[in-house]
Amino acid sequence: MTATDDARRKPLPTPDADSAALWRGLRDGVLLLQHCGDCRHVQYYQQGMCRQCGSENLSHRAASGRGRVHSFSVVHRAPGPAFKDDTPYAVLLVDLEEGPRMVSTYTGGKPEDVTFDMDVVLVCERIDDTTTLPRFRRA
Amino acid sequence: MSDSTLRGKVAVIGIGLSPVGKVPGRSPLWLAADAAKKALADAGLEKSDLDGVLSCHAFASPFHRFSVAFSEYFGIQPTFSNTLQVSGATAATMFNIGAAAIHGGLAKVVLAVASDSLMTGLTPDLALRSLTESRDQQYEMPFGIPVANTFAMTAHRHMKEFGTTAEQLAEVAVVQRRHAARTPGAQQTTPITVDDVLNSGWVTTPYHKLDCSLISDGGAAFILTSAEHARELGIAKPIYILGGGECYTHEHIFLMPSLTTTGAVTSSRMAYEMAGYGPKDMHVAGVYDCFTGTVIMMLEDLGFCPKGEGGRFVADGQMTYGGQIPSNTHGGLLSFAHSGMPGSLFHFHEVIAQLRGQCGERQVRGAELGLVHSLGAGFATNATTILGTENTL
Ligand SMILES: [Zn+2]
Repeated sequence: MTATDDARRKPLPTPDADSAALWRGLRDGVLLLQHCGDCRHVQYYQQGMCRQCGSENLSHRAASGRGRVHSFSVVHRAPGPAFKDDTPYAVLLVDLEEGPRMVSTYTGGKPEDVTFDMDVVLVCERIDDTTTLPRFRRA
Repeated sequence: MSDSTLRGKVAVIGIGLSPVGKVPGRSPLWLAADAAKKALADAGLEKSDLDGVLSCHAFASPFHRFSVAFSEYFGIQPTFSNTLQVSGATAATMFNIGAAAIHGGLAKVVLAVASDSLMTGLTPDLALRSLTESRDQQYEMPFGIPVANTFAMTAHRHMKEFGTTAEQLAEVAVVQRRHAARTPGAQQTTPITVDDVLNSGWVTTPYHKLDCSLISDGGAAFILTSAEHARELGIAKPIYILGGGECYTHEHIFLMPSLTTTGAVTSSRMAYEMAGYGPKDMHVAGVYDCFTGTVIMMLEDLGFCPKGEGGRFVADGQMTYGGQIPSNTHGGLLSFAHSGMPGSLFHFHEVIAQLRGQCGERQVRGAELGLVHSLGAGFATNATTILGTENTL
């Protein structure tokens, strides 16, 4: 495989020990958040322990999928050939109802329609047999 | 301020720049060695006088241990060395760590050197790596997020929260281009207007092409030694390291504690405390300027103006000659040159030259105290260094 072929292919996540459940959940259509049984902290970024208190007493619960756009940027110049055909697309920082913030992209509408504090809902977008990406559409 | 800190204990005694801008046919190691030769000559030293080397990785170079590969290339065998990696903040950490090593007795004469060939030296493989390497493979990269995008979302939120305008962002680029026009060797010197910036085409909103830094080749080098040794050597005008501070707030953009207030608040506060000076005492600054909005946020977080007023501060002429804090007087990453991680070393070169009074027609009169702030990775990494002349000790 040459560098050029490689560059045309979109990078897909390779789950690790910390994140396998998240990507499995997305395949089943849910966004799993980690809830700490000791300090009640909720995290999106999956870890083997709570980022706040260090406890390993974590449980996965499906997020409601509701969130709000904290900030965004519409990409006109793609980071490499793989994303060139997608431009313009809106990258979002979404504050989930449960607290955590995550980065994603806007789907199901024009990027120029995205506004600050816009209500959005999760869309589990199947990419292939192993990968489903969490995107957001207008609520 | 305490005797136990490195305040005033270490001086910069030599500075050197390689050719910058478009420098085809030269490897990062050559650019680094060329800058190092010039810094040694400036200090009146030989390479055999060096016992320490600090550097950072270059994308256009295959060497992971760049500082080690450099030493071999340059024909030296240092007893203190490291290849530092905190993205764009690495430049200031080289000064902070170099000073700490000298103050702590690990080295006597340290060469801080870095270079890259982002413009002419990247193979397709390396170009791809440089585009994507710094974002998370699972949580960020699958969404097509260029590094520019992380900075863009912070600036966008700043506009929303504080009413910062696209024109104010553009003004940063206009001012720095004016500065670059008076800097020999600057990559971009053609004057631009606010309209030119706004009409230069979107990269990632709210950033247009001219809101973004350049892509360049080039390197810079500095010689650090103890204040005591600088006196023994009879150095004409040593520039002292008065304070340093760093702050690392997150790795992922979605875990940045606030999109509009950064770790620069903490890193600069630490540096000011060590130096015994505040933001109002600074005469000249090198403010990391990967994007125009970055400068506006940093002018606030470094304490030059209140939070939210950075846009007005710039529009009022406060970041140029005659204003409160002339910043990036060489043109910065936006107009002088931006060769990746070493980019912020050009700010150090400029601020040290200003404090030495060597800047000719762009000299800030009476400059005795200067600050350089380096940052990177969507504000994940922040490092500040405060420098001063003999009079400020
Ligand atoms: Zn916890």
